[in-house]
Amino acid sequence: MALEYAYHPGNVAHSGSPEVAESMIPLAKSLGIKLTYLEGATSCGAGIIRQANEKLQLTLNARIFAQAESLGLEIMTPCASTAGNLSEDLFRLKSDPILLAEINDVLMKTCGMEFNGETSVNHLLHVIVDEIGLDKLKSMVVNPIDFRVASYYGPNMQQDGFCGEDDVYDPEYMEMLMKTLGGKNVDWESRMQSVGAPSILTEESTVLKLSASVLNDAKSEGAQLIVSACNLSHSVMDIYQGKASQRTGLNVNIPVVHLCEILTFALGHYNTRFAQLRTRVMVIGD
Amino acid sequence: MSANRSLLVLFGSQSGNAEDLASKVGKAASKYGLEATVKGMDEIKITDLAGQKRIMICCSTWGEGEQPDNAEDLWISANAEDSPSMEGVNFSVLALGDTSYELFCESGKEWDSWLESKGGFRVYQRVDCDVDYEAPAKEWMDETLARMGAVDDSGTYQESLVEEIKNQASGSASTTVSSESNGSDSSIEISTDGDRSMTILFGSQSGNAEGLAAKFAKQAKSYGLDAEVADMDGFDLSSLSSKKRVLIICSTWGEGEQPDNAEELWQKAVAASPGLLNGVHYSVLALGDTSYELFCESGKEWDKRFEELGATRLVDRVDCDVDYDKISQVWAEDALASMAAVDGEGLFHEEMVQAIKDSMISDSTGASGEDGFTVPIIKSEAIRAEISIFRYDPSTSSTGRDTWICALPGHMSILDVLRTLKNTQDGSLTFRDGSLDDPTTAITINGRHVLPGNMRLDSVAPIRDGGISIKIEPLSGFEVIRDLVVDHWSLETKREASKPWMASATRKGLSTPQGAIGSMSPLVASELHSITDIHSYPILHSSSDATAHSDEYLGPAIISHAWARRNDPRISSQKKKEIEILLDSPNGIKAETDLSTIRRQGKGTKIHDSLLDCKTSSLARTGYNGRHGKHVWWYAVTVKSSGKVNDTVLYRQVLGPIGLLGNLFSGVTSRMVLGFTRTGGNMINDILAFVAPPAGLGKMPRQFNSSINNHHEVVAIFNELDGRF
Repeated sequence: MALEYAYHPGNVAHSGSPEVAESMIPLAKSLGIKLTYLEGATSCGAGIIRQANEKLQLTLNARIFAQAESLGLEIMTPCASTAGNLSEDLFRLKSDPILLAEINDVLMKTCGMEFNGETSVNHLLHVIVDEIGLDKLKSMVVNPIDFRVASYYGPNMQQDGFCGEDDVYDPEYMEMLMKTLGGKNVDWESRMQSVGAPSILTEESTVLKLSASVLNDAKSEGAQLIVSACNLSHSVMDIYQGKASQRTGLNVNIPVVHLCEILTFALGHYNTRFAQLRTRVMVIGD
Repeated sequence: MSANRSLLVLFGSQSGNAEDLASKVGKAASKYGLEATVKGMDEIKITDLAGQKRIMICCSTWGEGEQPDNAEDLWISANAEDSPSMEGVNFSVLALGDTSYELFCESGKEWDSWLESKGGFRVYQRVDCDVDYEAPAKEWMDETLARMGAVDDSGTYQESLVEEIKNQASGSASTTVSSESNGSDSSIEISTDGDRSMTILFGSQSGNAEGLAAKFAKQAKSYGLDAEVADMDGFDLSSLSSKKRVLIICSTWGEGEQPDNAEELWQKAVAASPGLLNGVHYSVLALGDTSYELFCESGKEWDKRFEELGATRLVDRVDCDVDYDKISQVWAEDALASMAAVDGEGLFHEEMVQAIKDSMISDSTGASGEDGFTVPIIKSEAIRAEISIFRYDPSTSSTGRDTWICALPGHMSILDVLRTLKNTQDGSLTFRDGSLDDPTTAITINGRHVLPGNMRLDSVAPIRDGGISIKIEPLSGFEVIRDLVVDHWSLETKREASKPWMASATRKGLSTPQGAIGSMSPLVASELHSITDIHSYPILHSSSDATAHSDEYLGPAIISHAWARRNDPRISSQKKKEIEILLDSPNGIKAETDLSTIRRQGKGTKIHDSLLDCKTSSLARTGYNGRHGKHVWWYAVTVKSSGKVNDTVLYRQVLGPIGLLGNLFSGVTSRMVLGFTRTGGNMINDILAFVAPPAGLGKMPRQFNSSINNHHEVVAIFNELDGRF
């Protein structure tokens, strides 16, 4: 039976990371996942709206949960930040019945909705490993990813209760997945370090140093490519590479792609793009 | 141990019994010189069985002779036409079943026949177990493991070696696993390592609950627990937030009322915030009288409230009638064993509970010690550990790693691991030694900040393929002096600069028989306590990834302390103002780049929440001005306006024209337009690409978002909750 999820593409999939939203479509088809779009879903808040008003972000996200609940579906997203932010708010609502009742009052008054705690949040990575299975994935691989890959998780979804059956501090799901796709994993330490994505516009100096240290670590360990499970971090690591290098003097030039992209390439989609990536990895380097 | 000594233990399990047995086989295998891998039948492919030299199968039967759910797919593969040969595989099968069903142990029989038909060699006869399976299963495990041990590295079974291996295994067991001698297959004893404190709270009207609390506190010693009996009267509820183990024994008074000495604490518990008791493990014994309408009501209330406050119930509440002696003792044995299975770091090891109970039964005749009770030690078997430690030699400014692969007891603390390596392997290995909870000993293991004295080796990382692999680093955010020793001076300097001392306001004291004293609402005190309940300031400082990359940033440890001071009702208005200036400064809370990094570290949730409050407060005080304020403000505004964040508006409003130009010249904009598209994708995404480039080109965000469905609902939520946006 096909898996079906209420789909949240992530906070910036409609803007700075269109490749994630785009590649998710053929990927889901290949994996046998039916995506039911949450057309009314808002931004997850990215941990930013709650800085102004925590109850506001909780209510906006409770509305997303209520939409998924009404469909009888669990939520899936390919973005680690969105998965982490939604999971954090879902955990708060489920563990505090008084707060949930307050939020439901607002939801009922403004949207005629109610959330009863009957959904959950999943990242694509955990859906593939826990639900679909790597054996099945392996049988689908058309173009093996024969690169040395540094898998990047980020800090948002590597939290207790947010990362499926994987270990919070010593995860292995992405490495297992990359091995299944034919990649060679590099052993690196920065795979869960923040690149400071929520503060790229406000604390640029620190964020560039954070990003440079992550990129440089992957490169120093021999990685040819970083694969990110996070839309936001993926964007920051890629588009700020030059600026990070200028600020720190570190060698940080390395291709960064999103998990969705690398999966689609491996499963035989976008062969031209994969060839371009292969050229970047093998010849150009950045 | 060489790969040639590998043993595959497979389980097909429906209710968990076969899995438990397979796990025991896996643990016992090392005594027979075997390196076991335990897998569910749904975790392996049939082709993976070929090439194995030793396979032990524990399989239950489901329904009318059917394979258990997790074995079904493997069984189908096994019966496919192209299923592989099992020649060279030495095997034995333990079949679990129930004679009340017609097809008894059918699944196990099927696997046994299949392996034989495929050319496998049966080293020990299949054993079929009824519902009382423990004894025959133990015999099968011992006999089969000895035979598997007698399969040599080339895969040939050497029957002549079986007795010798049995003798070796029993010798090994008697010296390393004390509870084995009693017929229990537990390899676990009880530990006195780390924090073993437990609080027994009693709410008592007639003295029965108090008597039981004292009795069970005494019994707790034999479980390796250091129990403290506490009267609910005058007890500080907030102090429970730092406890790992709490037992509650509470009677009920009158018509379902709390006993007199519990009433005040109960009111505090009712008013307390959810999450106060996160990390606390508890169980409740309720005393009552069935002749009253509301039986054991007080105990029931405590049980429910503790759960609501975030505590974890380890053993279900037991409600006692007036004849409570026996039933309360049964509860105590369950509760104490479970509490003993909570380690020094506060992690509950469910798999240890039964072994601890078995250990207590076997120790019942061996009372010793001054108090007449044995104090056993929790021990677990040696595990293979690959330990990689960061090294730094300041004399040569060289860095690197040393890696040791060794077998160490799983119960060993990381501090003891370091001591052992220093004493036996490399005397130059440098780390801070100290007491178990010395905050300055903190190190990082696989990205997790820990106090090494409080962390067991087998709890610090997942055990994979029978071993554990750990990387030990110095705490980030500090300068390294040598190896794992960091210099805390930078933190202390920041702490000093933050002027963390209290400057109290002059205020009226409360007149009491003891004189005039200052008072504080219990709720406020509890909240302040939770903000400052920081086990190790160096760990909290390091939990922010930003501290390692910003010398000026004060860091979460200093900020959370200052935030607690700022919220202390005793503080003077001048001091409060000083602290607010500190928090609002560029090196204050706004310099934290990603609060999620703090949340993920141990007990960081509460600190994360308080830092979030701190930032909210700071943004409001500074009128959402400056980049931080504009960022939050415009993020919320764009979400209100369409339901989605609008990156273009954010960039424009936060960075301003100069910042945008900076991005243009530093290559950020060009990477979005060009570089970011090198894996392909459309170059033209929007008609704006022709009208107002670079919007719509490559991966430049669109200038205008389309609205989400039912956008009016979002506007209504904003208007209801925050009219500012």
